[in-house]
Formats: sequence, C-alpha cells, structure tokens
Amino acid sequence: MTIEQTQVEQALEILGDGTRLDVLGENADLLRYAESEVTAQHSERRLRVRVRIKRAGRSAAGTLETLEPEAVRTLAGRLNAAMADLPASPGAEETLEETVVAQSPGEVEKPAASVLEADPAVRHQWFSTVRDGLGDSAKLGGAIRFDVLDRVVANSSGLFRAETLTKASIQAIAKQDDRSASVKLVHRDADQIRVEEIPGRLREALAPLPVREQHHGTCRVLLKPQAVNSLIATYAFWALGAHHYATGRSAVSGRMGEQVVSELLTLVDDATDPAGLVSSFDAEGNIRRRAPLIDHGVLTGVVSDRRRAGLTGGVPTGHAVPDGWRFGGDPVPSHLLLDAGESTEDKLLAETGSGLVVNRLDYLRVQHPTETLVTGTTRDATYWAEDGKLVAWHPQLRFTFRMDEVLNAVIGVGATREICDQTFMDSIVVPSLLIDAGPLVLS
Amino acid sequence: MRDIAEALLALLPADVGYADVRVVHRTHEQVLVELDGPGEVGYDDSLGLGLRVVVGGHWGFAATHRLDPRGLDAVITQAVGQARAAGGAGRVALGSPVTTRATWSSPMAVDPFQVALSTKLDLLSATVKEASTAGPLVRQIEASVDFYRDHKVFANTEGALIEQTLTESGGGLLVNAGDGNDLQRRSFPQGVPRQIRGQRGDFATAGWEHVMSLGLVENASRIAAEAVALLTAPQCPDEVTTLIAGSNQLAMVLHECAGHPMEADRALGTEASLAGGTYATPERRGNFRWGSSIVSAYADATIPGGLGSFAYDDEGVPAQRTQVIKDGIFLDYMSGRESAAALGLESTGAARADGWQRLPLVRMTNICLEPGESSLAEMIAGTKRGIFVETNRGFSIDDQRMSFRFTTEVGWEIRDGKLGRLLKNCSYESVTPKFWASLDALGGPDEWKLHGVPSCNKGEPLQVAHVGHGTVPGRFQKVQVGR
Repeated sequence: MTIEQTQVEQALEILGDGTRLDVLGENADLLRYAESEVTAQHSERRLRVRVRIKRAGRSAAGTLETLEPEAVRTLAGRLNAAMADLPASPGAEETLEETVVAQSPGEVEKPAASVLEADPAVRHQWFSTVRDGLGDSAKLGGAIRFDVLDRVVANSSGLFRAETLTKASIQAIAKQDDRSASVKLVHRDADQIRVEEIPGRLREALAPLPVREQHHGTCRVLLKPQAVNSLIATYAFWALGAHHYATGRSAVSGRMGEQVVSELLTLVDDATDPAGLVSSFDAEGNIRRRAPLIDHGVLTGVVSDRRRAGLTGGVPTGHAVPDGWRFGGDPVPSHLLLDAGESTEDKLLAETGSGLVVNRLDYLRVQHPTETLVTGTTRDATYWAEDGKLVAWHPQLRFTFRMDEVLNAVIGVGATREICDQTFMDSIVVPSLLIDAGPLVLS
Repeated sequence: MRDIAEALLALLPADVGYADVRVVHRTHEQVLVELDGPGEVGYDDSLGLGLRVVVGGHWGFAATHRLDPRGLDAVITQAVGQARAAGGAGRVALGSPVTTRATWSSPMAVDPFQVALSTKLDLLSATVKEASTAGPLVRQIEASVDFYRDHKVFANTEGALIEQTLTESGGGLLVNAGDGNDLQRRSFPQGVPRQIRGQRGDFATAGWEHVMSLGLVENASRIAAEAVALLTAPQCPDEVTTLIAGSNQLAMVLHECAGHPMEADRALGTEASLAGGTYATPERRGNFRWGSSIVSAYADATIPGGLGSFAYDDEGVPAQRTQVIKDGIFLDYMSGRESAAALGLESTGAARADGWQRLPLVRMTNICLEPGESSLAEMIAGTKRGIFVETNRGFSIDDQRMSFRFTTEVGWEIRDGKLGRLLKNCSYESVTPKFWASLDALGGPDEWKLHGVPSCNKGEPLQVAHVGHGTVPGRFQKVQVGR
C-alpha cells in the first residue's frame, strides 16, 4: 500500500467536516506489440486524490495528484470559496455518512505476489511464449498489462477503508492472410493465466477454412464468451442501475418481479465472488454486496449507491462510481456473473445447425436505451457452422438489434465461463450463449 | 518545470540513445447547474512527468507524480529498466532531430480562470431557466462550462526545450424529455457520447469569450422545446433516400471516416489491440478513392482557436497543415516521428499525449473539410425527398473504419424542397468510401464552422484527446436511413 493513513487523516483534517476522500494509487506496467514486434513498454505511477465536500446542502469536488498538506490547503480554500457562492440544494446526505461508518469492514482481497513483484522480464517472457508458439506464419499484436491499484476511501466521520487490487491481462490478436483471431485472458493473479495455451487457441481459431459469402436473413447465432461479455455488460450498464431504473431510463423500469429475459439466464453482481475480479468497497466506501439481478429470467434487483439505496432495501449494494467517472455519475453494475449452463461448447455448436459463430462483438453502442437498441460489428474470428462443425469464415458484419430480444431468445448456455473486462466495468464472468433465429438479422 | 525537465535528462545513464521528458501541469475547472439538482463545481489539478527513453533500440516509458529527487531516480530506473528488458538489438528510427527551443501560449481574450464563479453560475442558471420553459415533460436539464489549462515543458536529448501553455474553454446544454413511454435527448451546441461530464458542448482553444459566443441562453428554450416535440414526433422512415447532414453532424462522420483511419499508427498495426486497423493502408496512399471528386480534407493544427491547435506536438515537432484527401483521393497520414519514419516520411506533428502520464500517440488535430459551392438552403431546395439530420447521438464503426452507423438527436423530413415534419430516432448507415462517393453538394465558405470535440478516445491505456473539425453541411444520395 503506497497510501499512508496518516496523510489521509491529515488531509481530512485540513478539508474539514463533510469531506470524503477517494484515493487511488495507480501502478500500471504494459508491454505492447504489433506485427510480432515489441512496440512500447510503459510504467505509469499515479496518485489520484478525489475530494468531495458536502456541507449544508452544498457540494463541491476536486482532484489532486498529491496528499501534500500545502496542495490540500490550496484546494480546500478553492472549494470553500466555491461553496460560499453556490445555492443550497435539498437532499443533504450527512446521515448516510454515519451509515457508512457503522458498517462492518468487508473482507479485503489479498493482492497477488505474481503481479506485485513482477518485473518487465515476465511480460517479455509472456510475449515470447505466445509469439514463438504461434510461429512465423501469423503476426501477433496486442498488449500485456499488470496493474496494482491501491485504494483508500475515507471520510471526516471516521470511515477508513483500504485495499490493494492486482490484475494481470494479456490480449493476443493473431493475423494470417485475411484472417484474424483474438484471445484475452484476465485475472487478479498472473500465475492463474495460462499463457502457454494461447498459441494453440489462436492457431485453432485461424483455421484455414474457405470464406463464404455473407448470409442474408436470420439464423441461429452462437456468441462465444468475449461476445457475450460485450452484450451482457452493455445491457446491464443501461438497464440494471438503480438510478436508471428509478428515473425511467432503463428498459426494465417498473418491471421488478417480471420475466425480462430468457429463463435460462441468471445474473448477479458480486464483487466478493472469487470467480471474478474481487473488490471489497465502492467509491463512497460502501461495502460491495452480492446483488441478485435476474433469476431465471425474472428481474429481481438493481445495483445502488447511497443516493439510490432506497431501491435496494435501504442499504447500498456498493456500486457508487468515482466522482468525475467518464461513463457517468449513476450507480451501475461492476462485477457481473452470468450463471453457467450445462452445454459443452461442442453441443452448442451442434445445436447452432446452419448458423453463425461470433467470437467478439466490437464497438457495441446504444442507439436507444429504453428499447435496448444497439449497433455493433463482429470482429476477429467469425465463422459459419453447418451440422456441428465450423465450415467457413464469414465476412465481418454489422448487427443492429434489441438486446432484450436477443436475451429472450437464448436457447443454450455454455458450461464453461471466462473472466472478461470492459473499460466501463471491472469484471464480467460469462459463458457462451446460443441465440435462436429471429432477433439477429444479417443484412 | 524547466528545471525538472533539464535535471532529469542530465541524470540519464550513458546507454540511453534518445530520451524526451514532458512535465505537464493540467488544471480543469467545471461548473454545472441542473434543474432541481445540486449542481457541481469541480477543480482538478494534475502535475507530473513522463519520461521516454530508447536503450538498445527499444522504447521504455515511465511516468510519475513524484517530482522530488527520489521520484526522478525512480522514473529513470523504471523507464530504462523497461527498455533494457527487451534485450537490445532493436532499432528505433525517429527521422530528423528535433532541436527547437521556444515558448508559446495559446491566444485568448479573457482568461476563464479569472472569471468569477458567480458569473459562470449566473450564465448557467439563466440557461437552465430558459430551458425549463418547455414544460413539465422536461425531466433533466444540465448546463455546464469547462475550462482546461495545460502548462507543459518538453525537452529531449537532441537539444529541444519547449514551453507551452494551452487554455481551452467550452460549454453546453443537455435536455432530456420523457412522457413515460419515451425518452428523448437534445444537446447544444453539439452532442456527446453518453452523458459524460467535463466534455459536453463545444470547445475551443480560447478563453471565456468562446463560452459567451455559444449562445447558450439564447438557444435553450428552442432546444428544450425540440426535446419535448421529439416525444410525439414520427419515427424516421426506413428507406434509401437523400441525406443532408448538418455541419456538427458531419464533424463526427469526418472524425470517424477520415480522422482515425488516417492516423499512421493504425496503418502500422500498433493500435490493433484496442482501436483496430484502417482501410487506409500504405499502398493505398495517393490512389484510393475515398469519396466523390468534390471532397477535399486536411488536418491543420495551426488554425487559431481550434481545439486541436497548438504550436508544437508532444515530440516537439511544429504544428502544421497536412492535406489528407484531395479531390476525393486519400493522400496522406497524420503521423508522429516514429510512425512517419516507418513510412519513409517526415512527422506531421500529430503526436500527442493525454497528460503527463501517457505515452504520445498519433492523434488527429483539426480535421477539416474544404468548403464547397452550395449552401444548406440550396441543398434542401434541390431535394425532392430526403431527411436532414443534426447533432450526433451515437455511432459505431468497425475496426477497419469502413462499416458505420450514426444516430442523430434530431431530424426533419424533406419534401419537395422544403423541411417538413420533425423526425425522431434518425439513423443512417453505410460504408466509408461508398458514403463519401455519394456526396454531391457541400456548403460554401460562409457555412464553414470549426467544432471542438473534447472526447476522442484511443489507446491502451485509454487516452482522451481534444480535437477540432471544420465542416460544412453536406448532401449524400441513396443512403440507407431508418431508426
């Protein structure tokens, strides 16, 4: 932990009553590569201090890159002056600060030594393993990243929570002729990432099958875990946050207890489940709790922060986002887990019949949130299947569809799950999904 | 900051073949007023340095917020350690050396950081009040202003020492209306992807005078009324028709279809892990028909006030103008020193980093269309059936920057040369060269407008760039539109 508790307490004293600090010590090390050559190596160290002061119905925020008293005093002066100019607004939250203090501390994840102690040579070894295993016929691109994140959330009412999170990830994109395939593996512990398996997976995915013409119309579509990752994360982001739900911006607003997707789907948000990337508290210091969202297709809950805790039994589920977060200010899911099914990947492929196999959905963007209308493209390996076998590469294509219709048309769920991530979500653990013909139209 | 940069370079070990350091102090002020909400005042302050070294022909980069002697020692150890770990025997070509010594500040009339907070709050409160006149179906109003200042020092081992101060100002309005069945959004002066705070509205490398020129109060009631009207407006029809895109809508299309694809690092494959590649491959330079013969475009970082304007990029290369498309043909890339050298070219001065903690990447500057000879009024008058769309609501484009789909906040049908009914949920999709080949009219010089977009994403880790787009309205034939 690079953040000193005494410095945090000193900063809180300077900033005064009604202050919350959200402090991040970011340590990121990357190796990037293209055309099978290393192109960049980064080592980035950053301290981010987010300050929020709420006093007498007024609120102001600021960020610093230091906890040095002089800098904190300067910011305190600016924020106090700003609050003197601001009109008071209803809904002061002092009582909730006390609620946070009263909670028992969550179990803190032990950081992985494999990431904490890794030096650049480890990343070069990973790169060499994949490149050499792939051979000369394909070109390798991607990135290897090791992150150590020291987090502290503290407030002037006595709250102090701290954790150190580690994360290792590797993305490998192989290109051969006009074909491409990708693998992304992520885990809190670098030792749990099976780098040696990546070349085989890429070689298999680059199978020299013929290229068929684009299919027109609808068909069954097998979405592999990385594609399901984009779909589930996007759906949950827009539909399953308490503020979106309460203000009618969610497609499922007012439908608690109703069937909203296929009964084959059960979805929870649980940052304490070691199947995903564990974390113990959110940006307000709320303990992260298991939040059942969808049970066999029935909407059972949403995720909340302190402002929207009323929708989750008066207790926040631990999904407050950081001040100034670039994806918005409302609570959204952060650690999704979609239950595995019973189908092997071979069985799902067999049930696809004549259909499409999509490994990755890219640039999936919402067109209309309450209709869950999205558009995006396939990327890397996209195949055509016949009778349980991959028989051809299918051209990359654009899908525009309603996510709720696709999730209602699930007819098969894979037994094996992968850990994934998104720029807007920490952890998504998902299996493959087989989608029946209908909602996905190839035009 | 100069002292820190020079001290750091003096401490480098002897096996460093090239190094550059950027010390950056970024400040950001945000003021936001909501309808019936708490509002927001925020001050961000970030100071640190990024060190890039070449050892044994390999790059190493490290960044730190610690500017004391221990911090400087650590950042050198990390950057050099990264480069040495590659094992030597590499090669980094950077083209001509950069030896400039200069100081520059972006021009402004009124320093926005010196304007009283009460003045900013008054402007935004008046804007929200005007927007609230549209009635009870208005569910959310947010008016905001943001100001950024980057004070940065660049120095390298080739002798360059450049100090720049850039001040940027922007503001905008967002209105959401809802009736229980539908939600519709209108933004002004331009839309933003998602509801990102700090990046809303139109920005310029200028002072408070830019905010005052936006007309936030004057346009607020119209924008809110449109949001309400959209709730009961008909859906955009699903058909192949004539599309007229307004200036700010075309800015985003140009951004995605020409800006990103013509960044040289994409052509070299180094952005494959996140952003992807490009159709604009090196062998297509000078012979690829990108669009109809009436379209020409350029990247120009020297335009006064442009959000992608500066004097020197983050490798110390002077800002410049680069013709990227001429008479419909793809001509050239935007590049940094390394990507230019890999293509046998000289840098176009387009290497930029998002703050001190990130590695410079090739980023578009101000991507501009050369104006045509028509006008919006003339284009509409000359269209028997079609739609006119304005203000981006969302988009998606494939990793090669070919197949795209854009959604706009608002549209109007065109019938017999006149604007007709308001339309909601307007989308259009096409493929880059096919779409631009169907362009048959562009607005003239008097309709050319420079838009500042502070939310361009790229890179791993993600970097946000501030870019500009000079555009005019344009008319496209036989475009698939729909909801």
